[in-house]
Amino acid sequence: MVPISYYLVLSAILFACGVLGFLIKRNVITIFMSIELMLNAVNLSFVAFASYWQALSGQVFVFFVMVVAAAEAAVGLAIIIAVFRTRQTLNPDRVNLLKL
Amino acid sequence: MIPSTDYIRLLPELILIVFGLLVMLIEPLLGEHNNRKGLGAIALMGAVLSILASFYQTGYEGAAFFDMIHVDTFSIFFHVLIGLIAAVVILASFEYLNLQQIRYGEYYGLILLSSVGMMLMSSAVELVLIFIALEISSIGTYILAGFRRNAPISIESSMKYFLLGSFATAFFLYGVALMFGATGSTSVYTIATTLAQGATPLAYVGIALMFVGLGFKVASAPFHIWTPDVYEGAPAPVVAFMSTGPKAAAFAVLLRVLFATEAPGWFWLIWASAVLSMTLGNIGALVQNNVKRLLAYSSIAQAGYILVAFAAAKDIGISAVIFYAAAYAAMNVGAFAVASHLANVGEKYVTLDDYAGLGRRAPGLAAVLTIFMLSLIGIPVTGGFLAKFYVFQAAMQSHLTGLVIIGVINSAVAAYYYLRVIVYMYMREPQRDVPVLKMPFALGVSLAACLAATIYLGVLPGRILDYAMASARVLVR
Amino acid sequence: MYNHILSIVLFTPLLGALVLLLIPKEQKNAIRWVANLFSLAGLLISLPLIPWFWALRTQSGFKFIEGAPNTWIPSIGAGYYLGIDGISFLLIMLTTLLGWISILSSWNAIQDRVKEYYVWFLVLQTGMLGVFMALDFFLFFVFWEAMLVPMYLLIGIWGGPRKLYAAIKFFLYTLLGSVLMLLAILFLYFHHHTVTGAYTFSIPELYQTAPQIPYHYAIWLFLAFFIGFAIKVPMFPFHTWLPDAHVEAPTAGSVILAGVLLKMGTYGFMRFSLPFFPQVLDPIAHPAVRGTIITLSIIGIIYGALVSLVQKDMKKLVAYSSVSHLGFCTLGIFALNQAGLSGSLLQQINHGISTGALFLIVGILYERRHTREIAEYGGISNVMPVYATITMIMFLSSMGLPLLNGFIGEFTILQGAFIESKAWAAWAIPGVVLAASYLLWLYQRVFFGPVNNPKNEKLQDLTPREVLCFVPLILLAFWIGLYPKPIFQIMDQPVQQIVQTVRPDLNKPVLAQTPIPSAAQALPVEAGK
Repeated sequence: MVPISYYLVLSAILFACGVLGFLIKRNVITIFMSIELMLNAVNLSFVAFASYWQALSGQVFVFFVMVVAAAEAAVGLAIIIAVFRTRQTLNPDRVNLLKL
Repeated sequence: MIPSTDYIRLLPELILIVFGLLVMLIEPLLGEHNNRKGLGAIALMGAVLSILASFYQTGYEGAAFFDMIHVDTFSIFFHVLIGLIAAVVILASFEYLNLQQIRYGEYYGLILLSSVGMMLMSSAVELVLIFIALEISSIGTYILAGFRRNAPISIESSMKYFLLGSFATAFFLYGVALMFGATGSTSVYTIATTLAQGATPLAYVGIALMFVGLGFKVASAPFHIWTPDVYEGAPAPVVAFMSTGPKAAAFAVLLRVLFATEAPGWFWLIWASAVLSMTLGNIGALVQNNVKRLLAYSSIAQAGYILVAFAAAKDIGISAVIFYAAAYAAMNVGAFAVASHLANVGEKYVTLDDYAGLGRRAPGLAAVLTIFMLSLIGIPVTGGFLAKFYVFQAAMQSHLTGLVIIGVINSAVAAYYYLRVIVYMYMREPQRDVPVLKMPFALGVSLAACLAATIYLGVLPGRILDYAMASARVLVR
Repeated sequence: MYNHILSIVLFTPLLGALVLLLIPKEQKNAIRWVANLFSLAGLLISLPLIPWFWALRTQSGFKFIEGAPNTWIPSIGAGYYLGIDGISFLLIMLTTLLGWISILSSWNAIQDRVKEYYVWFLVLQTGMLGVFMALDFFLFFVFWEAMLVPMYLLIGIWGGPRKLYAAIKFFLYTLLGSVLMLLAILFLYFHHHTVTGAYTFSIPELYQTAPQIPYHYAIWLFLAFFIGFAIKVPMFPFHTWLPDAHVEAPTAGSVILAGVLLKMGTYGFMRFSLPFFPQVLDPIAHPAVRGTIITLSIIGIIYGALVSLVQKDMKKLVAYSSVSHLGFCTLGIFALNQAGLSGSLLQQINHGISTGALFLIVGILYERRHTREIAEYGGISNVMPVYATITMIMFLSSMGLPLLNGFIGEFTILQGAFIESKAWAAWAIPGVVLAASYLLWLYQRVFFGPVNNPKNEKLQDLTPREVLCFVPLILLAFWIGLYPKPIFQIMDQPVQQIVQTVRPDLNKPVLAQTPIPSAAQALPVEAGK
C-alpha cells in the first residue's frame, strides 16, 4: 500500500504549482486555472486523509468543494468575459486602471 | 428526522434566502426601465425580518443540523450585526442605483444572499460548512464589486477581488484539509478535544493556512494588497457592505477557529499581522488623495487594531473584537455612505479636492462625515473611541505592552489622515465646481442609523459591552 | 441645585451649543446673543459655588460629589463621577470666567461661520470643565480627548494664515501625549485589580493602590503621564506647538488656550503625577527625577523669556512669555512643598488672568489694524488712552509687580524653591527680571513716543463691550495682589494633602504652619532668611 505521506507530498506539490502559477502567469484564464489546481490539490489531501482516518466525511467534502469550485468558475468566467469586453485583453498587466 | 427547532436556528438565513430568491424572480418580470426601488423595499423587508428572527432565536440556543451550526449569544450578535449592515446598505443604495443608471434588481438579491453566507459563517461550527459559507458570501460580493458594468474600473476591481479572493479561500481550504488530517474531524468542538491531547505539526500548519485565508478576507497585512484597488473600483455602497459585513463574519470565524478549538501556535502570527496591518495601513493612508482608497487603507489599519484584541486573547479580548466589529461597522458604513452620495454620477467626485469646501456647500453631510472620521480616529463620545479603548485595555491586561505602544502610536499617526478629510471639508476652498445632490430620504435614514449607532456605542456602551462579554464567555467556555 | 451643581455647571455650555444648533445660521446676531447668554449663564450658575465651597474649605477630600464609581459602564468599571477640591474649584471658576470673557470678546472678531464657531466654543467649555471635575479616570480621559477636537477646529477654521499647520501640530502633539497617558491609566487600572480584585477607574480608589507600585514600573508610568502633561503645559522641550497654535488661533481661542488649556497640564501634575507616584518623586531616594524636571522648568523660564525678548510679533511674544510663566508653575509644583504648590496654583490662576488679558489686548489692536508687527505701532497711548491704561495694568500684573497678582504667585513659588535649594531660586529670578524687560520694552515701543504711522492716527479707543471684558480681570488682579488670603485658604487643604502624600517625612517648614496671610506679611519671612 502507498503510504499517506506520498499523497500529501503530491498534494502539496500540486498546491505549490497552483500558487506559483497564480503568481507568475500572465493570462487571466491561466491564473484562474491555477486556482482550480490549488482546490483540487486540497481535494487530494481530503481523500487521502479520509482513507487514513477511515472517515467517509472526507470524501463527501470533496463533492462540496467541487460544487463550490464550479460555482466559482461560473462567476469567475463571467467576470473575465466582462473584463475582456471592456478592455479587449486578458493580460493582467494591461488591465491596469487600478495599480496592483 | 430533523427537529423543527433546527429550522428556527436557521431562520434568519432561511428568511434571507427566500427574500433573495424573491427579488431574483421578480426582477425579470419588471420592464426594462422600471424603477428598482420596489425590489429594494422587498430586500429591506427581508433584512429587517431576519434581524427580528435573530432576536427570536435567543430562546432557542443550541446546536442544529447534526452539529453543523450552533446558535448562541455569539452567533446572534453577529446575525443582528450583519442584518443591520445589509439593511443600512440597501437603504443607502436606493438612490445610488438610480444615479449610476444601474437597473439590475439582482443587486439587492446578491446583498441578501451574501449576507446568508456571512450569517452562516458566524453560526457554523464545522469547518467545511464554514468554507461553503465563506464562498457564498464571497461569490456574491465578487459580482457586486463589478456592478457598475459600464465603468472598466469597477469590472477590474471585481476581477481582482475575485482572483485574490479565490486564491485566499484555497489557502483556507487547504488549512481545513490539514486540520482534518491532524484531528480526523472538521467539527470545531471535536477538534478542540483532540488538540487538547497534544497538537501535531500538521495542526500548526493547518492553523497558519486558515489564518492566511481569513487574513485576506479581513484585509490584514501582509494579505492586504488587494484592498485599496478593489475599494477604489467597486461601487461605494458595495464597499460599505464588503468592508464591514464579510470582515465581521471573517473575524467571527477566526474567533471560532482560534478560540473554540483552543488552537495552538497562532500568537506570533496574529501579533506580527496586527503590527504590520496597523503600520502599513496607516502609512499607506497618509499619502492617499482618493477618499475611497484612503478609507481602504484605514480599514486595513482598523483590522490591525482588531487583531491586537485577538492577541490579547481571553474573554475580554474576544469581547473587544466583537465590540470593535460593531463600532467599526457603524462608522465605516456611514463614511462610505457619505462618500457614495458625494461621488455623484459615474463616481466622478471621489478625491479629497472634491471635498474641499464641503463644510459650506453641504454642512449637514460634512458634519456627519466629521463625526465618522472622529470616530475612526477614536475621539470620545463615539463608538470608535470606546472600541479602541477596550482593545488596548484588553491587550494591557494580557501584558502586551509592546503591542499596545505600537498600537497607540499608530492611532496617533492615523489621526493625521482622518483629520485631512476634515481639513479639506472645512478649511480649504474648492478648486472646481463640485455639485452636491439633494439628500435622498432613504440615504438620510441610513446615515442617521449609522450616526445613532456610532454615538450610542460611544455614550451608552454598557449593554453592548455586556452582551459582547457574554458572547465571549460562550466561545471560550 | 446644591446636589447637582457640578452637572449643571458642566452641561450649561453644552445645552447652549444644542440650542444654537436650532438657530438658522443666517441670523448671526441672534446666535451671538444666545451664545453670550449661555456663557454668562455658565458663569453666573457657577457663582453659588463660591459661598458653598467656602463653607466646606477645611474639610478634606472631594466635595459636591455627584454620581458614583462604576455607574456609567459597569462592565469596565467606568463611572459618571464628579467632585471638586480646592484645586479644581479655583480652576473651574477661572474657566467659567474666561469662557464668558472670550465669548464676549469674539462678537466682532468672528464674522465667518458664526454659528459653528460658537457651537464649538461652548462644547470646548464643557470639555474643559469636565476635565477639572472628573473623579473617574475614564471620564477624565473622555473629556481630555474630546476637548481636542473643538480646539483643533477653532484654530484650523478661524485661525490665521498658517492655521492648518498650527492646528494639526497642536492636535498630533497632544494626541500623542494623551495616548501614552492612556497606557499608564490602564496600567494603574489593572494594578488596582491585582491588588484589590476590583476593576475601577475611580480616581480616589486608585489613589490607594498606585503609590505601592514598585519604582522600576512606576518610573515608566510617571514618564507616560509626565509626557502627556508636559506637552499640554507645555514644558521645555515639548513647547514647540505652543507658539504656532497661539499665533494662528483667533483671539478668543488664544485666551482659552493660554488661560485654561495649559492649566490642564499643571492640574494633571498636581492631581495625578504627585499623589500617584510619590515613590518616583521621593527627593532623597531618586533626586535625579525631580532634578531633571526642575532643570527643564528653569530652562523653560529663561528660554521663554529670552525668546520673548527678540520677538517682532506681539502675539508670539505673549505666547513665549507663557512658556516662561508656566515654567514657574512647574518649578513650584516640583518643589514639592506647601509654598511651592500653593504658589504654583495661584500663579496658574494669575497666568489665566493676566495672559488671557494680554491676548485680548493684542487681539483688540489686531482687530483694528490687522497686523501684530510691533514695528507698525508707536505712540498708541496718545490715540487710545483707556486701552493704554488697561494694558499697563495687565503688563504690570504679568511681570509680577507688587500689589498685583503676579507678584504673589511668583514670590510664593520662589519661596518654595528657595526652601529646597537656593540655586533653583537664584536661577529662576532672572526670569522675573527678563519678564519686566520684554514687557516694558514692548510697552515702550507700542505705546510711547509719537504716532509715526499715519494708519494709527484714527484708531478707536475701547468700546464698552471691550472694557467689560477687562473689568473682572483687573478687579481680580488687584484683589489677589492685595488680599490673597482667601485663595490660599481654599487651596490650603488639598495642597497640604498632596505634600503629605509625596513627602510624609517632610518636617513641616515654617511656612506650612503659618499659611501665608498676605503679601505684606510674607515679605519678612523671606527677609529673615
